[in-house]
Amino acid sequence: MLPLSLLKTAINHPMLVELKNGETYNGHLASCDAWMNVYLTQVICTSRDGDRFWKIPECYIRGSTIKYLRIPDEVVENYKDEPSRGQQIRKDQMRRGAGSGQRGGRGGQSNRGGRQPSNLSSNVGGSTNSIGGARPAKQQRR
Amino acid sequence: MAEKHQDKKKKETILDLGKYLDKKIRVKFSGGREVSGVLKGFDPLLNIVLDSTIEYMRDMDDPYKMTNETRALGLVVCRGTSVILISPQDGMEEIQNPFANA
Repeated sequence: MLPLSLLKTAINHPMLVELKNGETYNGHLASCDAWMNVYLTQVICTSRDGDRFWKIPECYIRGSTIKYLRIPDEVVENYKDEPSRGQQIRKDQMRRGAGSGQRGGRGGQSNRGGRQPSNLSSNVGGSTNSIGGARPAKQQRR
Repeated sequence: MAEKHQDKKKKETILDLGKYLDKKIRVKFSGGREVSGVLKGFDPLLNIVLDSTIEYMRDMDDPYKMTNETRALGLVVCRGTSVILISPQDGMEEIQNPFANA
């Protein structure tokens, strides 16, 4: 159970966010991102000492200032229910790993990163001087 | 490429500050300062330009306690890294304890 993906499943649910400065925010999670920045709607802000309250229609909170979030139990149940979540994540990681491996391989072979395939083909057809000149120069720089 | 960049930008920001342009917003900073002002500009790093800015002063002895005192700051640039909370100013009101009977 990953914290940020649990948070993502908690979208549209009510939650409590406590900030490092001690203020708490009760509201519905409208959206969140990879930095745990959250966007809440229908918010009630409670002061640090817990004796002043404000109603706020919506607010954006920077993730780095969050101490913790309290999430309703049903979200955790939803999270478990989502079909083959674990497998999905593993698949994603596999795909990512394979992708970067291939990219690295190609780059190593050609020393070119495959940026301009059209130029490459034209060069192969015509004079190979430019390629021959370019390659050692790049390697020297590295 | 440009389209890709746009996508990335969209991912980076879950908050569209554009809808608050020329509206009064409330901003809290790390360290405890709190201001409100009219949003004049912003960037993806959350740097913000506020006009007609008012700072809400805090108690000298307890820096977490707000007082009713304010001071006018005028036009300010707020550094994004120290912004911890942004909310629209209208619709914000102090209320009685809503959890009292819970």
